[in-house]
Amino acid sequence: MAEITLSGITKRFGPITALDDVSLTVPDGAFVVLLGPTGAGKTTLLRLVSGLDQPDAGRVQIGGQDVSTATPAQRNVAMVFQQYSLYPHLTVRQNLEFPLKSPLLRLPPEQIARKVGEVAEVLQITHKLDNKATALSGGEMQRVSIGRALVRNPAAYLMDEPLSSLDAKLRADLRIELKRIQHDMGATFLYVTHDQIEAMTMATHVGVLDHGRLVQFGPPRQIYEDPVSIHAASRLGQPRINILPATLFGPAPAGAAHIGLRPEQIRQGEGEDSFVRRVEHLGDQTRLHLSFHNHDLITVTDAHTGLKSGDIVRIRPEKPLYFDASGARIHQE
Amino acid sequence: MQRTSIERVAAATPAPVARRLTGLSDRVIAWIFVAPTIFLLLAVNIFPLIWTIRLSFTNMRVNRPNEPVEFVGLRNYQRILTDPDIWQTMQATAHFLFWTLALQIVIGFALAWLINRKFRGNDLWTTIIVLPMMLSPAVVGNFWTFLYQPQIGLFNYAVGFLTGADPSSFSMIADVRLAPWAIIIVDTWMWTPFVMLICLAGLRSIPASIYEAAECDRASKWRQFWTITIPMVLPFLMLAVLFRGIENFKMFDLVVQLTGGGPGNTTELTSINLKREAFEKWRTGYSSAYAIILFVTVFGLASIYVKALNKVKSR
Repeated sequence: MAEITLSGITKRFGPITALDDVSLTVPDGAFVVLLGPTGAGKTTLLRLVSGLDQPDAGRVQIGGQDVSTATPAQRNVAMVFQQYSLYPHLTVRQNLEFPLKSPLLRLPPEQIARKVGEVAEVLQITHKLDNKATALSGGEMQRVSIGRALVRNPAAYLMDEPLSSLDAKLRADLRIELKRIQHDMGATFLYVTHDQIEAMTMATHVGVLDHGRLVQFGPPRQIYEDPVSIHAASRLGQPRINILPATLFGPAPAGAAHIGLRPEQIRQGEGEDSFVRRVEHLGDQTRLHLSFHNHDLITVTDAHTGLKSGDIVRIRPEKPLYFDASGARIHQE
Repeated sequence: MQRTSIERVAAATPAPVARRLTGLSDRVIAWIFVAPTIFLLLAVNIFPLIWTIRLSFTNMRVNRPNEPVEFVGLRNYQRILTDPDIWQTMQATAHFLFWTLALQIVIGFALAWLINRKFRGNDLWTTIIVLPMMLSPAVVGNFWTFLYQPQIGLFNYAVGFLTGADPSSFSMIADVRLAPWAIIIVDTWMWTPFVMLICLAGLRSIPASIYEAAECDRASKWRQFWTITIPMVLPFLMLAVLFRGIENFKMFDLVVQLTGGGPGNTTELTSINLKREAFEKWRTGYSSAYAIILFVTVFGLASIYVKALNKVKSR
């Protein structure tokens, strides 16, 4: 396992700048999750680390060595592709064996069989080992593709939305499993996802990408509680942070254009009246869709609330976040 | 009011034919459409086949319509299968088939592999390579006789230039040992592009992401070639072998133009031999039996082969 350091990485595809001067250090044994909307450059970043693509500028270091011009094989990273990329003419077992049969490793057959068996067990695909890779469901293909990375012992695991097409139960299982692998083996993970639960539960660090720029990098709690911009604040939190005009609830700090309120920053039962438009009972929580001075906002309330649409509830902001007109955070003293 | 385009199209579409012609079910209409084709197939394929089987048990000769036609049982078959000349012909055909297939597959795949590398102008190169395939076999046979000409032929000159041999010291067409190769070379020149196109389709069907995965799995280019490229192109290669095998089994035009079966009977392939028996010696019954034997052989081989092909595809 090794530390990954990116310095000044820029990548262009024709007129489009996919990554713009990105510098980032993935500490040894860390679980770094990249967040960002589609097209922010997350996948491009993974491909540059893996060596499938070459950056136009900047350097990639793995384990302290400059690997900017090295091939994927030389970098010794395992990658899980979003579109699975299984070998369609091989069985599940042969797919899982493929990386282990690399002449670079020279593993004895028993060891290969044992390793494949272990990984299949973890991913719950033991009964499918002799199936053809194309005769699987999407979720099974995705598990095989994760398995193909896990059988190895690479310098780092690169995963591109590996859990996106799994059902909720399996996703929760594998979240814990990947986290355990990272913890037990001290593995380094660079992980792309849209799922904020994955980001919050698995990440030791979160990198927020926006239009090819790394806008914030830090522990998930820090990104959540202390975002640098509206963009970063919107990446985490379910329901999303409410962005409203800064002066809606009264005086705002100088330069503030927007006020950001997460559900827990909306105190209920105090302040001014708001109108309940809709109540969503999710079981463990209840979401309130409110209308406040003609602005819509969403917050969370007690699971067994008696509120129903048409009711009036009083709300007041508590320790809100302020942002300027460009979306950058304004820190108050 | 007809407002959506779907409603307008629906109104402008005439009522189904079946509804207007009362008493015709969809099934009957389907049969009406298929019947001409079925009739044509029966008339030009199935009927002649049955007729040939019938003729193969007789001593009929079409150039002597006044002679009585006698039923001779299996005598035609017996004579053919014990005739050493016919076995010689079969051997020549097998030799021709083996070498044309081997050369065309190897060269065709190699060309496809090179063309499939992304480089400038590979479309132009594909067009240039494919040109021979678009020519008429008669024309190709004809101008290769000029290329093979010992005194003025470009082929002989080129071989002479490369090996230092005297160009007029050998004749590809007249030499007993070289004549089979003269045909093999021309057929390969003409039909390798076809194999290349099929291989190219196979190579292009492999997504780049598979190679990327293999790259990350630390497979060398060599290993990628043998564990990914070859297995995934194999069904296409086998299809190419099937097409070329069937085509070359009935090879006729090129050989007639180039050697006419000679010298002696060294390039007399079964199709040429059969034509001689049927339309030069006019042994209709005998050549019918010959044709049936060839039919059964090709049909049997092709069936086994298609089974194997399906197995590879479903692997």
